[in-house]
Amino acid sequence: MGSLTDKYCIVGVGETPHMRPSNRTTLSMACEAVSKAVADAGLKLSDIDGMTSYQIGDSTTSPHVATALGMRLNYAVDILGGGSSGEALVAHAIGLIEAGYCKTMVIFRAMNGRSGRRMGGQTPGGPIPVAVAEGDGQFNMGWGWTTPAQRFGMSAMRYLRDTGCTTRAFAEIAVAHRYHASLNPKAIHRSPITIEDHQRSRWIVKPFRLLDCCQETDVSVAIVVTSRERAFDLRHPPVFIMGGYARTLTDSPQWNYSRDEIHYVAGNYGWKRAFGMAGISHKDVDFISCYDAFTFTTLIQLEANGFCGKGEAGEFVKGGRLRIDRELPSNLSGGHLSEGYTHGVQMVIENVRQLRHRADDACPGWAEGRHTYDRKAGCRQLRKADICCGMGWGWENMASCLILRGIAA
Amino acid sequence: MSGEVETTRKPVPAADELTRPFWDAARAGRLVIQRCSACGYYNHPPRNFCDACLARELAFTPVSGRGAVFSFTVMHQRDVAGFENDAPFINIVVEIAEQPMLMMVANLPIGERERVRIGAPVEVCFEDRGDGVAIPQFRII
Repeated sequence: MGSLTDKYCIVGVGETPHMRPSNRTTLSMACEAVSKAVADAGLKLSDIDGMTSYQIGDSTTSPHVATALGMRLNYAVDILGGGSSGEALVAHAIGLIEAGYCKTMVIFRAMNGRSGRRMGGQTPGGPIPVAVAEGDGQFNMGWGWTTPAQRFGMSAMRYLRDTGCTTRAFAEIAVAHRYHASLNPKAIHRSPITIEDHQRSRWIVKPFRLLDCCQETDVSVAIVVTSRERAFDLRHPPVFIMGGYARTLTDSPQWNYSRDEIHYVAGNYGWKRAFGMAGISHKDVDFISCYDAFTFTTLIQLEANGFCGKGEAGEFVKGGRLRIDRELPSNLSGGHLSEGYTHGVQMVIENVRQLRHRADDACPGWAEGRHTYDRKAGCRQLRKADICCGMGWGWENMASCLILRGIAA
Repeated sequence: MSGEVETTRKPVPAADELTRPFWDAARAGRLVIQRCSACGYYNHPPRNFCDACLARELAFTPVSGRGAVFSFTVMHQRDVAGFENDAPFINIVVEIAEQPMLMMVANLPIGERERVRIGAPVEVCFEDRGDGVAIPQFRII
């Protein structure tokens, strides 16, 4: 990005409540999230002239949302994507605005991730029957190895053996993110848990227990991206985009294609670009977000993005290091593990709110940026929230990152 | 878990022009893997270009069928099409003896729970899925 660093900003965020089930269409939810994000920016729907979204054939599209909301877009496209696509589409927005295709873009994701199509091919009524396994599926579906928990579980089992890490490290992630959810009125699960609660929870796919797995929900999320010049006239102080990446590996997302160490993921090859663009080092980062589809995926992202060495994440997260008011707070909204599941964008939304100093917590003055920092009273705003590193990923071979800063940094 | 639930059929691999020799060999009880004629590298699952050198000349070649468990999972949910009544069951990824990180997925009956461990030696066997389809499996030796 180089000279484009800080030239583009996230100026609006919005979402629907996390529901199970929503009893709504993805179009209805997307319209609400987009409208809220645009209003949050202090803009009118007619000010938006670009829209993108990502999905897996489980959602409405940008042209449908634009039609429903009476918007005339100069650019609209919907991509196939998942956990790393939200951050990737921010980069896409920068390119489009820079090239003059449009001026202000909204990016959304809408999914009935619990009541509709679930990841791994289930519906609430059970698995979707698969008569024949085509393409890559020929080499895993016939053995019943299909769900994300099974596939990440395979990497996790080997990781535990290679590093000497134990599942208590997984528990550290679950406990930290749940604590943050306890400070978030929007979260699905708000009761704090302990390491022992994690260790006692039932197996889903060994080595993953119930409390290692994210909370699938029905939800839509949206963010608004525009240029720095426009951003300064809007409702909130802008959040600047410092750098990022959206990287792939040559290995396929299918685990049995791996040729490198199993915990080598795309982020290993991306973080130097992102930090280089941003002109910062890890010690400048006040807080992080990570794609916690499973507890384990947080460990891998910390290593891949250089926050600790290979195989060291288990030790790194020990003793609550990722909790608010500690060394490296992670997923301050509770993340996929405890807030709900939006394929990554909810973390971007939380990061923006933290950087604006306007986390929507229990503080009566949060909307004006007045926080007590009293965790017992439900405040989840960080005292110092100037720079954030958000990390996303889909499968092992796709990863993304978005480094953001607030007006104070 | 107790209580049978309505189960769907286990998915049958749909051989395509690239993978047909693999499935034809499996039906005949043989394990073959694509090998690069240029550099000798084994490639699995089948592909158009060699992973090591990007050559296009890849020939299906018999392999020993021996290997070791590289990692495993134990599935406790009835979430997988065709495997609703198999849970809990074990999946393994086998590292085939011919080459490091040459991987193949398989599963083991839950009765092997005590014996499955990373590094356990395995050998190939074949499971008949009906309609002239057989899939490679591995058993601990």
